[in-house]
Amino acid sequence: MEYLELIGTRRSIRYFEPDKPVEQDKIQKILEACLIASCAVNAHWLKAVVVKRDEVAPDDLERMKNPVQALVIALAPVHIYFYADLSVVNEIKGTRLKELVDVGALNPTHGWSHKFVDDVVYAQILKPMTENPGYPVVAAFDCGIAACQGLLMAFELGLGACLTAFMPDVVAKYTKVPSTWVPLYVLNVGYSAESKEAGGQRPRPPFEQQYHLGTYGNPFPRDPKVVEELKRSKMLQTPAPLPTRKQEVRELARRLNLPE
Amino acid sequence: MGALTKPIAQYASVTTWAEGLRQQWGGEPLQEEPGKLAALETFCDFVGEDPDVIVGRCFRVRQADGERVLSVKWRGHYADRIKEFRTQQAAANGPRQAAAVLSFLIHNGILIQV
Repeated sequence: MEYLELIGTRRSIRYFEPDKPVEQDKIQKILEACLIASCAVNAHWLKAVVVKRDEVAPDDLERMKNPVQALVIALAPVHIYFYADLSVVNEIKGTRLKELVDVGALNPTHGWSHKFVDDVVYAQILKPMTENPGYPVVAAFDCGIAACQGLLMAFELGLGACLTAFMPDVVAKYTKVPSTWVPLYVLNVGYSAESKEAGGQRPRPPFEQQYHLGTYGNPFPRDPKVVEELKRSKMLQTPAPLPTRKQEVRELARRLNLPE
Repeated sequence: MGALTKPIAQYASVTTWAEGLRQQWGGEPLQEEPGKLAALETFCDFVGEDPDVIVGRCFRVRQADGERVLSVKWRGHYADRIKEFRTQQAAANGPRQAAAVLSFLIHNGILIQV
C-alpha cells in the first residue's frame, strides 16, 4: 500500500478473526518496523514481548482482561506487550551514540565526537536525565514512535491491530520482564473481521484547534487544496460513520456472539 | 413468571435497555427480536432476581464523595453468573442468550465482557 493510503487506512481494529493465526514472519516484520524507528540518542527504550493468546492458560487470559479491552485481547490471536526499559541509558552509556558517530550519522559538522559523547552528552545530559522525575515521559514518547511504526506495519501486512492498556501484574507471569521495564501498551494483532473501511475514518478534533503557527492561539491555516490532494491520495478518507457501519457491527456481533 | 413480579418489559431497567437499543440500532429491537427479552427473563430466573435488582446491585454509592460508582464485587459476581448461564444454556443457543444479557447490562451502563 502507498504510504499515504496506509496511514489513512489504519483504524483501531476491535474485531478480529479469533481463529485465524498470524504468521510468524508477519510478527517479525512488525518488530523490525519498531526497531528502525526514529529514536532519541539511539537508546531504544522500547522492548516488546510477543505472547500468543492460545498459549495463555484460559484462567490467566480471564485475569488479563480489564473492563474496556477484554474482548479485544480475547479476539486477537497475538499480543505484543510493549515496555519502556528505563535502565538502558545507563547500561549503554552513550555507546550507541558513538556508533552513530562511527557510521557518519552524527558528525563533527554538528559538534559530535566520541569525546563529546563521553565527557558531555552522557555525563552531563543523559545520566542526569535518568534521575529526573520526568524521565519516564521522555522514554515513553520515544517508545510511542517505535510502536506506531509497528502498528502501521501490521496494516501494511493486511492485518488489523489495536493498542490497548494491559494488566501488567497478570501479564508478567508470561512476559517475565525485568523490574526496570515499565509497562506501556499491548498491540493486539490479528486478521481483521471488519471491512477495510471499518466504518470510515474516525472523528478527529478540528485541525486548527490542534496545531498552531508561530505561537499558541494562532491556528495553523488549513489549506483546502492540500486537503483535497490528501483525499485523492487516500490519506484522508470518507469520515465515519459510513451508512453500512451499523449493519456491519450487527453482523459481527451475531457472528461472534457479542452483545448488541 | 419466576423471579419477576410483573411482565419483564415493565421494569425500568428494561425500558432503559429498549431505549438504548432503539438509539443504537433504530427500530424496536426488543419487539422485533423477542428472543432478547426471553433470554433476559431466563437469566432472571437463573439468578432468582428481577432486572432492576440486578442493575441496582451493580452500582454502589461511594462513601467518600457520595458518587454512584460501579461495584467491582457485583460486576464480578454477574460476570461469573453469565459465564455459568452461557454454559448451561449451550444447547439452547447459550452464547446468543448470554450476549442478550450483556446487552441489557451495557445499555444500563454496566460494562461486562465475558
